[in-house]
Formats: sequence, C-alpha cells, structure tokens
Amino acid sequence: MSEQGDQPAADDAGDDQATAADAGADKATAADAGVGDEQRREFMAKAASFAFGGIIVAIPAGAGLATLLSPLSAPGQKGLKRRLASVSDLPEDGTPVRYDVVSERKDAWTRYPKKAVGSVWLRRLPDGGVLAFNTSCPHLGCAVGYEKGIDKFSCPCHMSVFGLDGERLGESVSPRGMDSLEVDQEKLQDGEVWVTFMNFRTKIGDKVPV
Amino acid sequence: MSLFKWIDDRTGIAGLTKEALFERVPGGARWRYVWGSTLTFAIMVQFITGVFLWMAYSPSATSAWESVYYIQYEMSFGWLLRGIHHWTAQIMVILLVLHLVQVVIDCAYRAPREFNFWFGVLLLFLTLGISLTGYLLPWDQKGFWATRVATELMEATPAIGPELQRVVVGGSDYGHHTLTRFFALHAGVLPGALVLLIVVHIYLFRRHGITEAKPATRAGALYYWCGGAVISGTLTVVAFVFGWGEEKPWAPWVIALVFAAVVGRVAFLFRNGSDDDSARRPRRKDGMFWPDQILRDAIACFAVMAAVLFFVFWKGTELTPPANPAESYDAARPDWYFMSLFYMLKLPPFQGAVGLVLGAIIVPGILATLVFLMPLIGKHKVGHWINVVGLYLLIGGFVVLTALAFNYDARDEKYRQGVAAAHEEAARVKELIVENGGIPPEGALSLLYSDPKTQGPKLFAANCASCHPYGGHDGTGKALSDEPSAPDLEGVGGFDWIAGLLTLEHYQSERYFGNTAFKDGDMAEALEELELTEDDVRAAAAALASEGAPRVGAGTGDQAQIDTGFALMGEDELACTDCHKIKGEGGKKGPDLTGYMSRQWMIDFIGNPAHTRFYGDDNDRMPNFLDAEGPDGEVEAGKLDLERVGLIVDWLRGEWPGAGRAAAE
Repeated sequence: MSEQGDQPAADDAGDDQATAADAGADKATAADAGVGDEQRREFMAKAASFAFGGIIVAIPAGAGLATLLSPLSAPGQKGLKRRLASVSDLPEDGTPVRYDVVSERKDAWTRYPKKAVGSVWLRRLPDGGVLAFNTSCPHLGCAVGYEKGIDKFSCPCHMSVFGLDGERLGESVSPRGMDSLEVDQEKLQDGEVWVTFMNFRTKIGDKVPV
Repeated sequence: MSLFKWIDDRTGIAGLTKEALFERVPGGARWRYVWGSTLTFAIMVQFITGVFLWMAYSPSATSAWESVYYIQYEMSFGWLLRGIHHWTAQIMVILLVLHLVQVVIDCAYRAPREFNFWFGVLLLFLTLGISLTGYLLPWDQKGFWATRVATELMEATPAIGPELQRVVVGGSDYGHHTLTRFFALHAGVLPGALVLLIVVHIYLFRRHGITEAKPATRAGALYYWCGGAVISGTLTVVAFVFGWGEEKPWAPWVIALVFAAVVGRVAFLFRNGSDDDSARRPRRKDGMFWPDQILRDAIACFAVMAAVLFFVFWKGTELTPPANPAESYDAARPDWYFMSLFYMLKLPPFQGAVGLVLGAIIVPGILATLVFLMPLIGKHKVGHWINVVGLYLLIGGFVVLTALAFNYDARDEKYRQGVAAAHEEAARVKELIVENGGIPPEGALSLLYSDPKTQGPKLFAANCASCHPYGGHDGTGKALSDEPSAPDLEGVGGFDWIAGLLTLEHYQSERYFGNTAFKDGDMAEALEELELTEDDVRAAAAALASEGAPRVGAGTGDQAQIDTGFALMGEDELACTDCHKIKGEGGKKGPDLTGYMSRQWMIDFIGNPAHTRFYGDDNDRMPNFLDAEGPDGEVEAGKLDLERVGLIVDWLRGEWPGAGRAAAE
C-alpha cells in the first residue's frame, strides 16, 4: 500500500481534465504552470509516447511481415519444357497414356535431384497431332485418371468426368475442362513429343498459370 | 462511438484500459522505473519475432540449420528478423539484471511485495531457460557443442542425472528429437509459463503499486553509485592485470577513467550529500502512469531497440557451420551470460566428479536460494544492506568470471584457431550452397563432406602430413609434428613444381626427394648427366604439366612449348623414355608419366605407389592407401577409400566447386 494516504486515489483521476485539475491544484510545484500549458505538455507527452511506441513495435513487426510476405516477390513458374515420348510410343487408337514430368525441384532451401514434379496425359489424334493434359483436376487438384470402361477421363475425388478432348461432361463440378498443355509442333514433325508443363489455378473458370 | 460503447457494455474494455493507463505514480514519473517496462517490451519483441521465425523454421537435424540459413540469407529481411530476435535476447539478460538491481535497491521486495519478487526471480530463470534452449535451434556447430556441454552437466544431477539427460536429449544421441524437444520448450512450454508468470507479476505489481524511489538522498544515490563503482572497479583491475590494452592501449585507461569518475561521484555524495535534502529537492508531486511514465518507458524501449539494431548492423548475426557430431569444435562456448559459470567449472575446486556437482549445481543453487530469500533477509535496514552488498558481490563476481573467461579464450590459441576455422567453414558452406544451387536433401553437412577444399586439408593432415609437408605446414596451416621425409606437395604437378623437380639442386633438396631413397637414385644421376638448360626444364615442365591438365586456374603454357617439351623428352634428345613411359610409349624403370599428375594418375599412385606402373620395387616407404595386391599376391587393405583419396587429390590439384570462378576473378 502506498504511504501517501492523503493523495487522491488513481481511479478518481480518470480523464485528462481531472489530471490537469489535480496538477493545477498542486500549487507547491506547479505554481506558474497554467492549465493550458499543462494540457499542451500532456498532449505532447501523449503524442511522443505514440510515436516512440509505434516505431519500436513497427520495427520487429515490419521485419517479420517482410519475411513472411517474401513469397509474394518470388518469381512465378515459367513452365518446364520436356521431351516426354516419341509419337510412335503413343497408341494409334487414341488411348491416353500417362507420363511423369521429371525435373529438378527447389523447395525453399532444398534442391532435390531430378524427380517427378507432375504428370501429363498424352493422346494421339487421328490427324497425327498429339493432345497433352495436365493430370491435375481444375476443381481441387486431384489426379484425373483414365477410365478404360467408359473411355473417358474422370477425377476420383468429386467424380468430374471429362471427354477424351478434355471437355467437361455431365454434372461435373470442375469449373472448366482439363488443362491442355502446349505441344511443340515442330518437334512433333520429327516424331518427338515435347510438352511445356505447368500448373494452373484451381476452382476458377479461367485457365490461369499458378 | 456507439460501436465502442456497444463493445464496452459487453466487455468493460474502457474500464480496463482506464485502470491500466491511469495508475498513479507516487512521487512522479521517474527514469529508474523504466526497467520493468523495457523487459516487458523485450519479451514482446521476442514473441513477435519468434512467431515470424517459427513460420520459417524447421526443427530437424537435416533441416534446422538449412532453414535458418534460408531465413538469414535468402528470405527478404530474414537477417533483420533473426538479428532482432538474437540481439534482443542478449540485451534482455542485461535488462533483467538492471531490473533486479533496481528492485533490490529500492526495497521493492519488502512486504507486501514478497511474492512479486519471487515471481520475478522465477521469470529470470525461465528467461535463462528460454535462452539456453534457443541457442541450440540453429543446429550449428556453436549451438550443438555448447548444448552438449549443457546436457552433459545435466547428467551430473544427483540420482536422476543420466535419465534426465536422456529425456531432454530425446535419446542417447543428439538428433531430430533433441531439436523437436528443445523447440517445443523454447517456443511453447517455457514462453507459455513465462506469459502466465508475467500476468501474475504485473497483476501483483498493479495491486501494490510502484515502490516509490527514495527522494534524492545520500543513501538512495549511494546505492546506485557504489554498484557502478564495484563493476567499473573490477573491470579496471581485470583490464590492467590481463593487459587488454595490447591492441588498443587506450582501452584500460578509458575503463579506469569511468571508474575514477564513479569514485569521485561516490566521494562527493559521501561528503556533501545530506541524509535528507528534501529542502533542496522537494518531494515531487504524484504523476500519472499515462502519459508521464509511459513516455519515459517508450523512450527507454526505443533506446533498447536502437541498441539491438546497432548490434544487428555492427556485429551481424552469426551462423556457424552446420552441426557436425563427428568433428569436435574447439570454439564451443555457451552464450556470454553463461561464460562465468563455464569458466568457474575450470577452476580447481570444481574439478572432478564431486567438484562438478558442486560447481554446476550446488553453488548456483545456493546463490539462487540466497536471491530468493532476499525479501526475508531485507526486512530491516541491516538485512537490506546485506542484500545490496550481496547482490553487488554477485554481480561483481559474475563480471570478473566473465572477464576472466573471455580473457582466457583471447589467449587460447586453440580457441582462436577454432573460431577462425569456423568462420572459414561457414563462408565456404555458403559458397557451396550457391555453387550447388541449393542444399541437397541430406542437409548442408553433406556439401562440406564432399568438398575437397574443406576436407582435403584435414585428410592430408591426418594421413599424409606425417611425411609430406604442404607449403611447409600440415595442410591446415598447423606446424608439422614430424620432420618431413617426403616431397612438399603444394602445387604438385603444376608447372613450377615440375620445373623444380627437374632441377638437380632442388630435386635433392628437402622440398623434393632430399629425405628419401631417391636422393641419389637413377633420376638424380640422370639429371646430373643431362645438365638441362633452363629452356629444357621449362619445355619439359610445360609438357608434363599439360598431362595433368585441365587443372583449374593453372595455365598450361602455350602449345608450341608443350610440343617442344614432348619432343625433347623423346628418345632422340633427352631420352626420358628410356626409363619412363610418356604418352604410353617408353621404358618401365621409372614411373609411367602418361597422364602424369592427372586426377586418375594421382589416385592410382596414392592407391598403390608400389605398383609396377609407378615405383615398383623401388618404392620408398609410401604405403598403399587403397586396397592393393601386395608382392605375395595377397590383398593389403588401404587406409583410405576411393572417395577420400579423391578428395585429397582434388584439393592438391586445386579442383573444387567454385575454384574456376575464384581463379577467373
């Protein structure tokens, strides 16, 4: 307990005016300090407290936020151009075949040796062209499979069904058809299938690279 | 406003804020009251930065160092974040001590505030616990080896020591579970307990109010200034006794000057201060916590942050090489505030098993108990004096032991070499990560293990330097332990080295074969007979050096000279081919010079120098370092494996990741 029982209790001096009045009443030390001066001084003290307080909290919090948000300034993906197969490897009847896309991958600090980063459905067309689809479903990213029985693509997670041309069929929840990938036409002339692999954002109607 | 009222009606937030801010400060706001607030601020900074670091940290033996590396060097402003966290932890220890000193001097532990004092002491130990566990988390050499020492000390605990150590370490060996446990303690258990205790601490503080500092009387001021005199005095003595002025002659005198000033102030107070100078400095009116005291607190916290940033920019935040259990670290030390304890354990009374228990557990335990008892001891004036003097002695002892510890290290050659080696290795691992484009999944240590520049010298010193010098030393820069008895291998296979070999005077010197059976062998005779001109030597050296090429960073000379050299060594001229095979053609008496000093040639040579392709029966003492068939047809085991021989060879040849770039620059 405080030894100065005669002083007003803290709770009574609830707001600025009470404080200023207290100060004014204490003539022994603040005889020449008018109420206005006291208020100005107190305002300055409050402003300075906010300024210093703001700066010292902003520094650690700012450093933290800058670090936290650093992924936003990281470069986006450019797409990986890979040779996946020869045209002759693909069945002539147009049955899709799955190929893994192998690449070196960097995950934050770790550099992984070459390994699969995704996969692609390749399908030979009667006119000699080749269709390529990213196997991940545009709905939520599950791996879309090929159902032999119905000769269609289907996603095991939410039963979206896609035709062999990648278009949605029936009541599919997928917001768009399967994501086609670019096949290098020049290389195709030489019988080689080169695909530019990339991932796209899920859940939206438009095909936007991640 | 109505929204605020709506919230206030349901939470009472306005009343709470009022209560928090409009605390009466008896005797007015004072600077000496800021220490508790700066501590609260420091803890808050640690929580903020800690949570953000947590978002990027990965506690496992193969990813902890790597993730800290990523924070420090690759994430934007990660260095600042980690720097603030690291340096605030250091400064917090000082703030803790200042807070304790201020509380003791002002008798703030007296009734009814005993419990608050005890909670404060618990907070002090909790903070030290958080620091100790945090030290390990980067999983670098420094933290790893320091923590090993700390947990070994734990083993000295009577009765449950070994079990306790095993539980804390998460097994008999240090690894993933040591990190996960320390991390949970550092970021979960201990901070959780800290928050609880702080809430109680601040609640009790508010319940009893600020302890008013004594008016500016002699006694009140003398406490502070005597404390300053004790610390500056011990520092002065230490500075002069241990000659801290060797590099900076002014340093001890500056400390002495501070000491003199403090003593002057004490003397002045003693002569001229009055026991009650309230006539001169009347007791000040009461102030309010907000904004008077808060402004002072904010400015003090600002100064703390400025000091933290000063250290972040001036000293940086160290990350020593990744923890390597296989390689002891000569510079393993705890954080500076544990150095006194660390040094104390080196002193004679604390040697041996009993001494260890005494020094690591009993003595700190007694001191902690004494601090704990302070509120009871300090009930009366004499007791208070005992507390103040005791605390000053404790701090003085802490300062002296800390100074002695740093002083000891500064003169310890092994420690200095350890620090230098760690700096070099830390820089090297960074280079390797950049060269490799990232860290392999096995962790950064694997990069160092497969790096010729790092491993070559160590392997050379351990396996080759008992006979071969390298530039006069053992490869790592240390002096040779034995007299050299074989050629110096610095620059081996390069133009200069070969040119030296082809000059009789050098050939017979200590640098080459002076201490071997070859000193007066056939090659020496041949060199004596041939009387090579300088041009001959240059041409032959250029030709032979080209056999070992491509060698990073060492030019092989122009093609014309190389062609001349090969022609010169042929049978029509010097007839080296009488004894040596060159480019697959020639005699078998001397070593085959086809691909001379190329990577494969050297590996084969080191693998088995007594092979007919090299010295055959003439081999002088050099063992086979790889498994090889001996003369009796039995396989003799080599001391090394292919990988390590390769590392030595690559290092001798100057071929390691980044060497080309360094040479180009």
